[in-house]
Amino acid sequence: MAPLLAARGVSKAFFGNPVLRDVSIALRPGRVHALLGENGAGKSTLINLLSGALRPDGGTIEVDGREVSRMTPVHARQAGIAVVQQELSLTASLSIAENIGLGAYPKRFGLVDYRELAARAKAACELVGLHEPLSTPVGQLPLGRRQMVEIAKALYRKPRVLILDEPTSSLSATETKILTDLLERLRGEGIAILYISHRLNEVMTLCQHVTVLKDGTCTADQSLEGTDAAGLVRLMVGRDPGDLFPQWRPSASPATAISVRNFSAGLMHDVDLDIRTGEVLGIGGLVGQGQEDLLLGLYGAIPARTASATVNGASGLPGGVPKANALGLAYVPADRKREGLHLIHTITTNMMLPAFARLPALKLRSRRAERETARGLAAQLGIKGDLARQAQALSGGNQQKVALAKWMPHDPLVLLLNDPTRGVDVETKREIYLMLRAFAAAGKAVVLLSSDTPELVHLCERVAVVRDGRIAAMLDRAALSEEAIVSAAMGAENRKVAA
Amino acid sequence: MSTVSSARPAGALYWPVQARRNIGVRSLFVVVLAFLIAYGVLFPGLFTASGFAKFTQSWFPLALVAMAQAILMLTGGISLAIGATVSLGAVIAATTMAGPLGVAGGAAAVALTGLGIGAATGFIVVRLRLPAIVVTLAGSFIIGGAALLILPRPGGAIPEWLSDLLAGDTPAAFVLLVAIVLLWKLYLATPLGLSLYAAGENPVGAYRSGVPVDGARVAAYAISGLLSTGAGLFVAAQTGSGDPVIGAAFTLNSIAAAVLGGIGFLGGQGTMRGALAGSLLLSLMISVMFFLGFTPVAQYVAQGLIIIGAVAIPQFRKVQQ
Repeated sequence: MAPLLAARGVSKAFFGNPVLRDVSIALRPGRVHALLGENGAGKSTLINLLSGALRPDGGTIEVDGREVSRMTPVHARQAGIAVVQQELSLTASLSIAENIGLGAYPKRFGLVDYRELAARAKAACELVGLHEPLSTPVGQLPLGRRQMVEIAKALYRKPRVLILDEPTSSLSATETKILTDLLERLRGEGIAILYISHRLNEVMTLCQHVTVLKDGTCTADQSLEGTDAAGLVRLMVGRDPGDLFPQWRPSASPATAISVRNFSAGLMHDVDLDIRTGEVLGIGGLVGQGQEDLLLGLYGAIPARTASATVNGASGLPGGVPKANALGLAYVPADRKREGLHLIHTITTNMMLPAFARLPALKLRSRRAERETARGLAAQLGIKGDLARQAQALSGGNQQKVALAKWMPHDPLVLLLNDPTRGVDVETKREIYLMLRAFAAAGKAVVLLSSDTPELVHLCERVAVVRDGRIAAMLDRAALSEEAIVSAAMGAENRKVAA
Repeated sequence: MSTVSSARPAGALYWPVQARRNIGVRSLFVVVLAFLIAYGVLFPGLFTASGFAKFTQSWFPLALVAMAQAILMLTGGISLAIGATVSLGAVIAATTMAGPLGVAGGAAAVALTGLGIGAATGFIVVRLRLPAIVVTLAGSFIIGGAALLILPRPGGAIPEWLSDLLAGDTPAAFVLLVAIVLLWKLYLATPLGLSLYAAGENPVGAYRSGVPVDGARVAAYAISGLLSTGAGLFVAAQTGSGDPVIGAAFTLNSIAAAVLGGIGFLGGQGTMRGALAGSLLLSLMISVMFFLGFTPVAQYVAQGLIIIGAVAIPQFRKVQQ
């Protein structure tokens, strides 16, 4: 039978940065097709190409075996393709029924036919086990129920192809069960389903076929029969590290820089953690499991609670950024453009910013001293070009170096780094890696939150893998491998799907 | 409440949805009622035919501009040109209705001007992706300037019978307002009208769901313009002539009324009934303070404090939760 929806050799690049290269996928009726890959492997981009939200740079999209030259969201809908996105498309102030029908209301004399809408929305809701009154505003529902409304909205359109992007990440065990039963049934009715999930157990029980993406290329397109979780993990990881990473030399000392017990902040709860001086401690896991809250909580940028804490000899958490800075903590955010730098100000000003906070409020600035310091920092970190230019004129890699450089004059004892190599070119990555190891060798504690697994394996003394707001595993140097990190992050080694 | 509506057959959906929308504005309705009672005690004349007529007439234009502003705020926009548009509507009414076009022709001219200005503003905001506050600020100068070009000083005329009908001892203003509200309910029951909320609150999600987001927003601007020039026509009938700057105070009052009525600045939050109640509350506040003998200056200060309080109270509640 011909695939209902297929991509043939599609490629896509953003700003010259290839995200997908020559990827093919075919969705056939009556099959649940799993799409797997690490963060940034290109899964979302592939969905957007299949649903017409983006257009491929090369390759073709085919519906019912016929090439569609310019796929748009409207075409996709007409072809019976429905997508349940990760970010919800709901309107909080409208009712469940009004949300389900949005964009496809039944009409009567030009008005919304509420009677018909109620009947059809009710049918869709019953499929997903939503029993709340249809008039309930969506804003009053908890996140998991909203996800069910989103799925009901896709079903309301009677799709032939259903694409679900991590539908279970906010669902309870019962809701997950309802969804998996439903998908089984839809499969039986001949619907083609593309299922993206980080929960391997779900994939193993639900799907018949798998496509694995790694760094934008397709590494597997095979039947799931005879494949186990470990095999799937192997397909997702593994990359030739080349000479990207510096030579490994142990540098950890037994002294602790930060020690917390029963620490909670944001999504993170009940964390016991000791950070040693002279080590690079990796923080790994899937995106959005609470890793960032761990860093921000330690830094005092979001409220945090703890049973006991010592930070560089002082007891208690800093509780605020100025105090954290005074205790020798420095934080480099992941989002350089919004949090790390002030883009329209000069490189020099950006580098001086933490210094301003420490000077007496009314002291006059010494431009010459600032220029001297900035020049010194630029030389030290290898930042090229005129320092009087705006920070936005720099490449991503150099911006990241500026964001790091601004803390150097204060000689921080603990560096909290949030994904410092995201969107950074290979050359700068190498320089940053060297710097991180040098900091550790100089006796600083470096906490490296990273979404890049090889980085964690090659740079860190230990890696804490975070899942669902807890440290799911603490991997020592001897136990460090990409497989170990990915397995711990996905909970692949234990737990069956809760039934 | 929830048990009742879930027990009903699926067919009955419209009214439960409407009932849910009252929940957010219940406390506002109570406050409005309290002010209404206070006003009735201070000014028993409210319950005579002419007292009622006078009161609704003083409220009517503010109600219209509050609706005009609320529609835009629901789409995530705002207008600083409402006052100027009211003035232009008044000036066009006063220069056309007594002339060869007659009342019908004049009214049509007023309506078309409002729709045209609104649609043009909306087109610029939506299509060129410019901030509404800047476009409408510039628009307020252009529209206000046009009003002054047409009628450099107060003048023109409105046929006396029309003034008597709209601003005399008749409940015409109230009847008109009821009709406008019913028309709005009708619009909100169309797919385009209902999409307004989705387009304002979650434009990306609405677009992916197949909502004509740009169309819904431009339509909102056109309706807003129509309501504004309509308010101008009414003001001209009240005064019997056209004044090119008479609308100035309506810009900020329309925002105040909408905010009092619980319309949020982020789009998609609030209801039209809330905005109407807000405009009624503002109108009542002004009257009650007048009867209590507040000086005009004290009135403004009190008005400002009440508005801040009205916006702050829900915030406090949110923080407590």
